[in-house]
Amino acid sequence: MSGPIQKYKDKEIVNALIKKIRQKTEKIGKKIRIMHVCGTHEHDVVKAGLRSLIPKEIDLIAGPGCPVCVSSAQDVDEVLWVADNHNVTITTFGDMMRVPGSRESLYQAQGRGVDVRVVYGVSDSIKIAEEMPEKDVVFFSVGFETTSCVTAAEVVRTNLPNFSIYSSHKVIPPAMELLLQREDIEFQGYLAPGHVSTIIGIKPYEFIPEKYNFPVAIAGFEPVDILMGILSLVNQIDEETPIVDNAYGRWVKHEGNTAALRTMNEAYILSDARWRGLGVFPMTGHEINDKYAHIDAKKKYDIPELAAVDLQSGCICDEILIGKSKPNQCKLFNKACRPDHPIGACMVSHEGTCNVAATYEEITWD
Amino acid sequence: MCLAIPGQVCELISEKRVMIDITGVKREADTSLLDEALEIGDYVLVHTGFIISKLDPEQAKEDLKLWEEILSS
Repeated sequence: MSGPIQKYKDKEIVNALIKKIRQKTEKIGKKIRIMHVCGTHEHDVVKAGLRSLIPKEIDLIAGPGCPVCVSSAQDVDEVLWVADNHNVTITTFGDMMRVPGSRESLYQAQGRGVDVRVVYGVSDSIKIAEEMPEKDVVFFSVGFETTSCVTAAEVVRTNLPNFSIYSSHKVIPPAMELLLQREDIEFQGYLAPGHVSTIIGIKPYEFIPEKYNFPVAIAGFEPVDILMGILSLVNQIDEETPIVDNAYGRWVKHEGNTAALRTMNEAYILSDARWRGLGVFPMTGHEINDKYAHIDAKKKYDIPELAAVDLQSGCICDEILIGKSKPNQCKLFNKACRPDHPIGACMVSHEGTCNVAATYEEITWD
Repeated sequence: MCLAIPGQVCELISEKRVMIDITGVKREADTSLLDEALEIGDYVLVHTGFIISKLDPEQAKEDLKLWEEILSS
């Protein structure tokens, strides 16, 4: 595997692509803002130092692409309410552990005795439930389409009386539309998430060029992949021919992953979803279909209305999440809020915009 | 979070399970979310234990061709 992968990091190709991007940027002659909506993109862009290599006229901004970061405090609060009132075992992804709830994170709750376990995925959570039939297990499931389709595969085939799923799934294309409608954020192109696109394909993005006359390029995660996406966007901006360009064709098929889409359609229904600090976005969530109510923790446990606090005092995660502010514009950044002591959700995951900026300090944000 | 890892199918275990070689590390993966059939040697993308995509070798060759063009232009 090392051969083909190394090709996607090749210095010569990277330099040639940057030269092409620079030529186009000079021709366009003005500042270009490109938004990505993927935490993995943010991590890989910064890790490869791409912001320091691309022309300074291009401002590559991070949108709401980290599913852990956009999870609302209320979701954490509700999961903990179930743990406290029904003595269940909570399982979730490692990234969720330190995400702040209104009063505490799962990690802090674990410290006072709540049984919270980190799993690699939903299947491991089911194994835990099988091993201890006397206790209820709730899988706290977050993620965009890449992850939620995997959970969907278990929703449709699992029937364990002591296992249920708390769904905090989000879908990305409608959220991208809501950002296009906001007048307080200006950008000229979308770098669309490669792995979400392996699932959903091209079609769900087509309204963006059609309705908004706005360029989209689907990109992978190696330096060459990301630069191919940026090159496609500057070409589209220059030629004023917005399309959905698939620059990750080796993995992303036009129709997406038909089996995964079918499974998700069976397991979920579209619903309104809470995004941290941003409020409720209509039709941006995936709740479990009534047909599978037996596996839906929200239906199994009678969760009361809880008043939640998404943003602790001073935290500007709401602005960071939509690319309106950058980490060093937050007065808590790298002071009170650090990777080892996160106050805002963007500092938690290794793909959160603030965590990435704090981890790779050599990258400066202007 | 949407991190997915490329690997190569090295063993067909059962109808819904295959063994994947990820740069020398072998892991089982679930094929329930794939309509296409798999053969030993296929490259696949794995996310939280499930295969989410199979590499299109023709398209990968197109990438290489495109780079050659970029390098020579």
